[in-house]
Amino acid sequence: MKRVILVQRNEPTNDESRNIRKLIELHDLARSANYKVVGDVTQTRRPDRKYQIGRGKVEELALMMKELGADGIIFSNQLSTTQIYNISETCKCEVIDKFQLILEIFAKRATTKRAKLQVELAKLQYELPKAKAIMSLLKKEERPGFMGLGSYEDSYEQDIRSRIKRIQKELASVQKDNESLRIKRHEYGYSIVSLAGYTSAGKSTLFNALVDEDVHVDDMLFTTLLPITRALNICGRRVLLTDTVGFIEDLPHWMIDAFRSTLNEIFLADVILLVVDASESPGIMRQKLVTSHDTFWEQIKGVPIITVLNKIDRITENELKERLENVGYLTPNPVAVSAKNSLGFDELKMEIYRQLPKWKRETVSLPMSEYGMSIVSWLFNESIVHNINYKDRIIVDFEARDEIILKARIIEKKDKHGHNHMFT
Amino acid sequence: MYNIIAVDISGRHKINNRYYMVCAAVSVSITAEHIEKVNQIKIKSFWMDSAPELTDIIQVIEDTAKEIEFGGTIITEHGEMYNQPERVVASMFSREFKYQESLGDRSSIELAHHISLCTRNLLLSELGIESR
Repeated sequence: MKRVILVQRNEPTNDESRNIRKLIELHDLARSANYKVVGDVTQTRRPDRKYQIGRGKVEELALMMKELGADGIIFSNQLSTTQIYNISETCKCEVIDKFQLILEIFAKRATTKRAKLQVELAKLQYELPKAKAIMSLLKKEERPGFMGLGSYEDSYEQDIRSRIKRIQKELASVQKDNESLRIKRHEYGYSIVSLAGYTSAGKSTLFNALVDEDVHVDDMLFTTLLPITRALNICGRRVLLTDTVGFIEDLPHWMIDAFRSTLNEIFLADVILLVVDASESPGIMRQKLVTSHDTFWEQIKGVPIITVLNKIDRITENELKERLENVGYLTPNPVAVSAKNSLGFDELKMEIYRQLPKWKRETVSLPMSEYGMSIVSWLFNESIVHNINYKDRIIVDFEARDEIILKARIIEKKDKHGHNHMFT
Repeated sequence: MYNIIAVDISGRHKINNRYYMVCAAVSVSITAEHIEKVNQIKIKSFWMDSAPELTDIIQVIEDTAKEIEFGGTIITEHGEMYNQPERVVASMFSREFKYQESLGDRSSIELAHHISLCTRNLLLSELGIESR
């Protein structure tokens, strides 16, 4: 396990609580990437062009490295290539920033082809603006002749660009397959419910508890990277529940773009379950909810959101009340649950049922024959049958989506006019 | 459901050596994710010879929002206030202020943005000024 020191430069205008939260998050991220944190350094100042933090602080950091026997440095702030170069020259060790750390975690967790492509795309997009500078720094010693260096840099950048294009094309085709799968699921009468929320809010635990599955759950950030979908029955409605990757504050736009196909899983759902860790302080909850709303904005239009206040087993009823008073304006349709102890699931399922696209209730009269029975069995598959009465004719009282009701009406009408054909 | 005043200013760039701005203030009743009701809309136009500073922007917003008869916190985008920290900006206002947070806040600001932008385009065409 690599020993690292964490460094964070705080903006002078930032709140202290925000700085602390960011540092804790960096600790968690480093732990998730299998690093052992041996110390942390913070400095409040405007960014330094050469070192990000002050030059004196970097020298202090170099001494600290020797004392603590650390092998690397992780910065909370985004570093430019020159800054990475300068700091690693002074401290004589590997220097990475938060985004590279997130990419490392993603690369470790990626198992499927799509996830691997997404991680590679994110990595390349991170590397692209630095490509020229990296080459320039690496080939500093060899500058043969007039314009000797230029071609090196350009071709390297060109390589990255063409690889990005190729991956985007490949991802788009994967995306298309998913798109048609989603349409098919809708056609088969499934509604899609997605779990979304800040990382480590307990989405996977809730997912497991709801569908009785065994998806990998860990006390680490980004345990889930690729969406996992399972079927679920909610008050007779067939629902597909999808577990997705968690959000994180200040995620740069190129990273969101790379994981768009994963996030699409959330944005194209019929209902979104926004999972929140209710055991955290109201201030932190508020910040995480704002980040979630920020990610949702412009992506979802009119999709109902249910806020799932998770981990209520860790707090008292009064504390829950207080949190709801504080952050109530950010929590649409709140439901309190404990995924660990399966508390509040009935209320959650009822709320999901309420928010699902509305089905209409209808009554049809079918002939008492083999053909009529085949329609009944089809209705049982495609809708919720509330009441069925077998007399001279079969009277079925059912709830279904528009297409099914229309089909049933046509069958009923044809039957009344004496057409008797096999239903296919 | 609660009341807010969403504010947006259009035209903070130079045209014909002047800054022609339109400020729209919209009083709305919102939930966390939707606008439930639009209570009142007020629009004011301003022009300046130099680029507006933070204090000017605050004055423009205060002048527009005071014509709204309904109460509520003034809400804007971060960029409207030159990305200054919330506590700094809030201390300069005479009434409650915060940056956008929920989806409801954002929808309201989007509404205010459409209103101010359209009004400004109309005014500029009335004045015979090219908007670009």
